Amino acid sequence: MAKLNLLWLKCIISFSAVQAVFEDQVGKFDWRQQYVGKVRFSHFDTHMQSSKKVLLATENNVFAALNTRTGELFWRHVDKTGPEGNIDAHLQHGQDAVLVVGNGRLLRSWDVNVGGLNWEVVLDSGRFQSACLVGQQGTAKYVAVLKKTTFSLHYMSNGHQKWIENLPESETVDYQAVYSGGNKDVYVLGVVPHSHIAVVVYSVDDGEIMKQTSVEAPWLSDIPTSCAVVGKGTLTCVDSTTMSLYTLDLHEQSQMTQIPLQSLGLEVAEGFHPSLVAHKPHPAHQPRSEFFLQLEADRYLLLQLNNGEITTLRDFKPAVLVSFATTGEKTVAAVMSPKNKTACIINLYNAETGRRLLDTTLISTVDPNGGKPERLYVQAFLKKDDSVGYRVMVQMEDHTLTFIQQPGRVMWTREEALSDVVTMEMVDLPLTGTQAELEGEFGKKADGLLSMVLKRLSSQLILLQAWVSHLWKLFYDARKPRSQVKNDITIENLSRDEFNLQKMMVMVTASGKLFGIDSKTGGILWKHYLENIPPNAAFKLMVQRTTAHFPHPPQCTLLIKDKDTGLATLHVFNPIFGKRSHVTPPALPQPILQSLLLPLMDQDYAKVLLLIDDQYKVSAFPSTKNVLQQLQEMASSIFFFLVDSTQGRLSGYRLRTDLSTEQIWEVVMPAEIQKIVSVRGKRPNEHVHSQGRVMGDRSVLYKYLNPNLLAVVTESTDLHHERSFIGILLIDGVTGRIIHEAVQRKAKGPVHVVHSENWVVYEYWSTKSRRNEFSVIELYEGMELYNSTVFSSLDRPHVPQVLQQSYIFPSSISTMEATLTEKGITSRHLLVGLPSGGILSLPKMFLDPRRPEIVTEQSREENLIPYAPELIIRTEWFINYNQTVSRVRGIYTAPSGLESTCLVVAYGLDIYQTRVYPSKQFDVLKDDYDYMLISSVLLALFFATMISKRLAEVKLLNRAWR
Amino acid sequence: MASPGGQGGGALSTRGGARRMKWALELSLGNTRTRGDRQGGQGDVVYPIGYSEKPVPDTSIQETDKNLVEKRCWDVALGPLKQIPMNLFIMYMSGNTISIFPIMMVCMMAWRPIQALMSMSATFKLLESSSQQWLQGLVYLVGNLLGSALAIYKCQSMGLLPTHSSDWLAFIEPPQRMEIMGGGMVL
Repeated sequence: MAKLNLLWLKCIISFSAVQAVFEDQVGKFDWRQQYVGKVRFSHFDTHMQSSKKVLLATENNVFAALNTRTGELFWRHVDKTGPEGNIDAHLQHGQDAVLVVGNGRLLRSWDVNVGGLNWEVVLDSGRFQSACLVGQQGTAKYVAVLKKTTFSLHYMSNGHQKWIENLPESETVDYQAVYSGGNKDVYVLGVVPHSHIAVVVYSVDDGEIMKQTSVEAPWLSDIPTSCAVVGKGTLTCVDSTTMSLYTLDLHEQSQMTQIPLQSLGLEVAEGFHPSLVAHKPHPAHQPRSEFFLQLEADRYLLLQLNNGEITTLRDFKPAVLVSFATTGEKTVAAVMSPKNKTACIINLYNAETGRRLLDTTLISTVDPNGGKPERLYVQAFLKKDDSVGYRVMVQMEDHTLTFIQQPGRVMWTREEALSDVVTMEMVDLPLTGTQAELEGEFGKKADGLLSMVLKRLSSQLILLQAWVSHLWKLFYDARKPRSQVKNDITIENLSRDEFNLQKMMVMVTASGKLFGIDSKTGGILWKHYLENIPPNAAFKLMVQRTTAHFPHPPQCTLLIKDKDTGLATLHVFNPIFGKRSHVTPPALPQPILQSLLLPLMDQDYAKVLLLIDDQYKVSAFPSTKNVLQQLQEMASSIFFFLVDSTQGRLSGYRLRTDLSTEQIWEVVMPAEIQKIVSVRGKRPNEHVHSQGRVMGDRSVLYKYLNPNLLAVVTESTDLHHERSFIGILLIDGVTGRIIHEAVQRKAKGPVHVVHSENWVVYEYWSTKSRRNEFSVIELYEGMELYNSTVFSSLDRPHVPQVLQQSYIFPSSISTMEATLTEKGITSRHLLVGLPSGGILSLPKMFLDPRRPEIVTEQSREENLIPYAPELIIRTEWFINYNQTVSRVRGIYTAPSGLESTCLVVAYGLDIYQTRVYPSKQFDVLKDDYDYMLISSVLLALFFATMISKRLAEVKLLNRAWR
Repeated sequence: MASPGGQGGGALSTRGGARRMKWALELSLGNTRTRGDRQGGQGDVVYPIGYSEKPVPDTSIQETDKNLVEKRCWDVALGPLKQIPMNLFIMYMSGNTISIFPIMMVCMMAWRPIQALMSMSATFKLLESSSQQWLQGLVYLVGNLLGSALAIYKCQSMGLLPTHSSDWLAFIEPPQRMEIMGGGMVL
């Protein structure tokens, strides 16, 4: 029997849709973009003159090398998320890059040429403070790692520990910095806040303490922010309260020298914390004696320390960013100063004299819809005539990296904000580009019958014209060879394709930058940076008006809520062009709890957005008279629910005609036992074609398709593996009626849920069997429909039948989503993002609680696969073949104009877009369909019939004459 | 009455090809070429020209002809009924699987009675001469109806008739939603 089952299973699998793409389809309709995240450390690879690498260590725990010519990745290493993979320090010497990873847990050395790991050592425990390279006789030989209580030295070549020493008085002194001047000593600097600086000098050879001094510094609290080592080992600090510079020669002095800023003729801006920028060109040499002092947000001074004397070389105001760079023996200072609103100028100065170098002006354009420049990295090189040339990499506030060459040519731009997409939507493109342009003119209200008629007529005329030109273009393109047809999409020639397969992806990133991306090519068509987005903001993106209502422009609304204050703002924009809409969003003085997009429309076809504030009052946007009237009529049938996970409370509200609300139900989960982790309703744009399932005896089992059903997942607060559990609750969002309740004992989160049609699929970790399990719940009304014309939650006396089955899954998962198609005829697949970077398209057929344990005639008739506890991962099911998507955080699915096709976007560190065909491409001819052969055969047959007809006629005539 | 080339053909044969004559009388005996045609026993009997061995039927109209017409008409009327056992056998043999041959059989089974019913008037013309015309017509009709009923039964057992609720499932519209609901976790 088991064998038979297996055979049956094999049959089913071989007949079920094969997902994998053919080799020649690779990259045809899918694309991937790889990102690294916000840059924390960056170094240019300078060990070879011809090197084209820039190394980046980012806040997303990624270490990568970029090609400076193209901006593409040479290699990339993605470490664990969270503090475990945090990159604390990045030291670069020659072709080795040394990283301290995971709060000082690991010390790693990478070969920058190929991205291979040279060595890795585990460091002793303790909080990481600082690290530096220690050089001797002109080369860097060791890596010094300073921790909270210990100080250790490691060989650069193999990572082995040379020595480790406990720091003296580590309970009171906060050691924060390490300095090595290239000789036999290494200096550890610590501070007792508002008291003194402790300097400990270690011998490089054996770790012996050579000298230990304590220097009075009652004004100092933190070394890295206000001090720097300059020149021949002089610790230089700046203090804003005493308005002074302090210097301390680490070799001999034991007293700080105070140099008041006034003596240099300088003053610190009110409330500004001044800082120092020093430069150390080589780890085995001493730092330069020139340094920058920042006195105001846009004022820098180039100072020089000479025998304890400080001289001002040059005053830069206004200056946004400064940086040093060294090539060969020459050290230059690059200063970026604003030119106008859309451009900045970068100039090079000789570091020793402060004189400007000729022909070194570089103009960098600043996107008015982007952020301000934040950091400047300069790659200097010697030209053939021994003058200094340079390229710069500018990091913007919105995490953009721009690489610019003289005199201002942008070589590449990377939008690293896209490594952290929070939410996205796909919007249909307008029918033609011309139409989209028109929308601006016709979007405003027209008055008078005649003018409206005229406007309508003229817009129709323009549409016709656009259509004709489109046809002409099609005809023209068809004659050209395929390779010559230009495929670059710009915002001007955006138009919907035949099957609506090309859409606009509107992506919202955590940094507050919005992107409009063409789903066909992945090109960024527009970007808009929202300033002053709090770092922990919550975003909710809604499409209020689609492109279907020409001449009204499409409209998206982004709700941004500051989680600290609870206050929210609305950003209303056109998703096709990214421009802020002329509609002014309402001011929201009250903290907003939730929003609700109603299917109601105002007279301009914009869906009504309801915002619920903390007084449970509702405000509408747009709030015209028409809308308010509609709301009053509909109020009795508008319900909403709120979930407060901290208090474990679910509550349902009803709208009153005066836009206040009343609570109608409440379910409380004891927060000390379990907490609500997620609530999933159904997607509002989901269509279910079939209202039931056909049984083996040809009767119908009707689905329980409650549009108001919510799946609430709870996790136990007790995480002990014997007592932990997860709960799933199916609850009607209108009445608060609990439809079904299931508790999975000895199970643990994170729980991933998909709720669609009449089923809920969830995945959890079973602590009992130590494996990942899938569970599926399906709801059926039974053999009879209670009411086939309308669905009202208030009138459903019967409880649905609940079926459930569980399966073992061989991998943990990162995220899960179901495919979505236009009419819901195509069978459904689950798209599962795996931590390995694969995206698996798992047929829902395998997650069916009606899978029988014993095969019967009826179940065979129904095409049910016999139950097998294991779900297998078949490699053809990976929709992204070898295009690994790192750290998948979400999968977005959208229907296309073709019923068979579902558009998929997976986002995380990378972005991957593709199409899936859950029931194969039943409505499209294949790509390799042989039009030539078919048409030539048809033509040949046609002519053959004509000829044979003629021949037959002749023959008949001849016979008649005989 | 008999044709020249009839039974007496032994002595008389057409030999168009060889001697280029339309016909010829061969009066001599012992013609070896025609010996094979003769029957052994009567070899030497010579019939006169135009003699026929068979008795010539009497063609004058008699009483018994009426019965014959009657019988013929009953044959026509009972034809469909006689087909039924055969159809039953075919039905049994073809089985209930849906494939090209059983479908063809069912189509034939269904089409034939329908065709017969459509050409009812022609059949009635055929039966006009019978005295029991109406009864025969009725029997013919019943036979054909039975045949088509059999075909329908076959369709039913093959599952081709939309008699189950599942056959109408695709036409059920999704129910209209009465309440509007939304919300979620407190942002």
